[in-house]
Amino acid sequence: MTRRRATNWGLNALTYLVLIVMLAPIGWLILSSLQTNGALSSGEYDVFSPTFEAFSGMWKSVDFGHYFANSLIICGAAALFATLFAASAGYALARFRFRGHRAYSLTVIGTQLIPGSLFLLPLFIGFIWLRQNTPISLYDTRIGMILVYTAFFTPVAIYFMRSFFQAIPRDLEDAAMVDGCSRFGAFVRIVLPNAAPGLVATFIYAFLFAWDELLFVQALTESRAETIPIGIHNFIAGYAQEYAQLMAAGVVSTVPVIVAFYATQRWLVRGMTAGAVKG
Amino acid sequence: MASIDTVTTSSGPAVPPDPPAQAGRARPRRGHGWRRDRFAYALIAPAVLFMVAIHLLPTLGGGVLAFKNLNTFTFSQLFGAPWAGLRNFEAILFDDANPLHNGFLNAAGNTAVYTVVTVAGVLIGGLLIALLLNREFPGQRIVRTLMLAPWVVPSFVVAVLWGFMWQSDVGIVNKVLVDYTGLLDDRPVWLLGPNSLWAIIIPSIWRGLPFCMLIFLAGLQAVPKELHEAAAIDGAGPIRRFFYITLPLLRPLIAVQLLIQVIYAAYQFTIPWIMLGTNPGEHADLLMTLIVRQSFSNNLFGFGAAASVIVMLAMSLWVVVWLAAFRRDLETQR
Repeated sequence: MTRRRATNWGLNALTYLVLIVMLAPIGWLILSSLQTNGALSSGEYDVFSPTFEAFSGMWKSVDFGHYFANSLIICGAAALFATLFAASAGYALARFRFRGHRAYSLTVIGTQLIPGSLFLLPLFIGFIWLRQNTPISLYDTRIGMILVYTAFFTPVAIYFMRSFFQAIPRDLEDAAMVDGCSRFGAFVRIVLPNAAPGLVATFIYAFLFAWDELLFVQALTESRAETIPIGIHNFIAGYAQEYAQLMAAGVVSTVPVIVAFYATQRWLVRGMTAGAVKG
Repeated sequence: MASIDTVTTSSGPAVPPDPPAQAGRARPRRGHGWRRDRFAYALIAPAVLFMVAIHLLPTLGGGVLAFKNLNTFTFSQLFGAPWAGLRNFEAILFDDANPLHNGFLNAAGNTAVYTVVTVAGVLIGGLLIALLLNREFPGQRIVRTLMLAPWVVPSFVVAVLWGFMWQSDVGIVNKVLVDYTGLLDDRPVWLLGPNSLWAIIIPSIWRGLPFCMLIFLAGLQAVPKELHEAAAIDGAGPIRRFFYITLPLLRPLIAVQLLIQVIYAAYQFTIPWIMLGTNPGEHADLLMTLIVRQSFSNNLFGFGAAASVIVMLAMSLWVVVWLAAFRRDLETQR
């Protein structure tokens, strides 16, 4: 029995050790952002006198506010549209065996197989063509990026929403329709409110992915609609030695997604693991 | 979905088997199937519209570009650029004299190593941590929650942070390896040369691990306790129970993660591009960084599209292999 307790104790210790190792890089990011540049380049950290110098400097070195605002607007709008489209498409997939059901759900997964570069190049050339030949301006505009990201993250969002709808009992809608609701009325007034946690989780999930997207934004923008990853890239290009500010920029770009994730973590985890427990 | 399935299948035997000419499946209950279909089509319409506009048409466009000679000189013609026939593909796959051929083979090799090592690390590490977290221990909830944090850190921040940690002189990695523990005598250079592939693999594993861990943990929690208890009574030790109970039950989950993670890793772009620059160098150049660089920096759009088509075909081949290997697991799960 004592041997078993010792193993148990050892495994607990190992668990905490793994957690510390996994979190260490994040701790290092935060710690480094609170140092002066001199401390970082000499490697002599002064842990006990943190400074917020880097956090005030980073906004001046590159126009970080511009990138930040673009990211918030583009990712927020795209995640919102993707969630709305996914809510209705996910509901259709969860509830109705319509003709083409299987083909459609396979197509939705199939989109994930396409290398981004394959549809990025024609999109880029299409955007340039539109700019040259029509008054429609999508290249280097927020609207263009919102369109692309909405389509981009809709497929994953559909699967997310579908799993939430599958968990809602059908009887709810049937009862509403007996009471005279139309199908659409039942969907909007009964199903959607019950799927609220799913809507929030899907929105955050799409937002997290959009926030991290680099491939498309680096090709389809050049100055006006650039988002944070491009800002970070420009920062490295122009201020390679300003490590403290770079780390501060890293912290600032992580805070929104960390907060969003942990605020909605319960529902998000449910959506992410929905496929794991049952097909 | 389950309820619909049972409805259609339970009405199945009553309906005579459809002759092929009719081509219709058993209609759902309540005679007005078409109206119900119409409602479903209206629900999927917005998503379909966007996917046609941003996924389908451009993908077809990419297929067309692969056969075009679109470069600096013909760029002004956009989609009207002259046809190149199969020349783009020939140049990439067979032309030893063409630098793009070597570049492509090199990037394909790097991507293969990157993908295999990263996916193996993510799956094995994720499973091991999930096993650790599936036990009862003090602080269980908070540890499980915090373990997800690396997955939430954006890839571009991961690249910046690790790029800083890999610095040869002041980076924490070398400080630990050389100065603090003395494991190594010389300071390795991580961001240049052969080590640079590891400089992108390790952060990728670090960031990808928590997601896999979460999926496997959910799967482990669904394994009935009685199975383990019964096997333990029969004298099976923890290791045998893992290989004979846990692993077979997790197989469908492992299969799905394998599929997703391989595709995700093969298309990696952000981490090398931010950490090592638009040209990560021959040791860490991946397919996506190569295609983007040749397309947008050197205006070789025809090359980029053709290379993308080849990559897509290779991925489709992987899906076919995967289906052949795991089809049975997916069926038994349903």
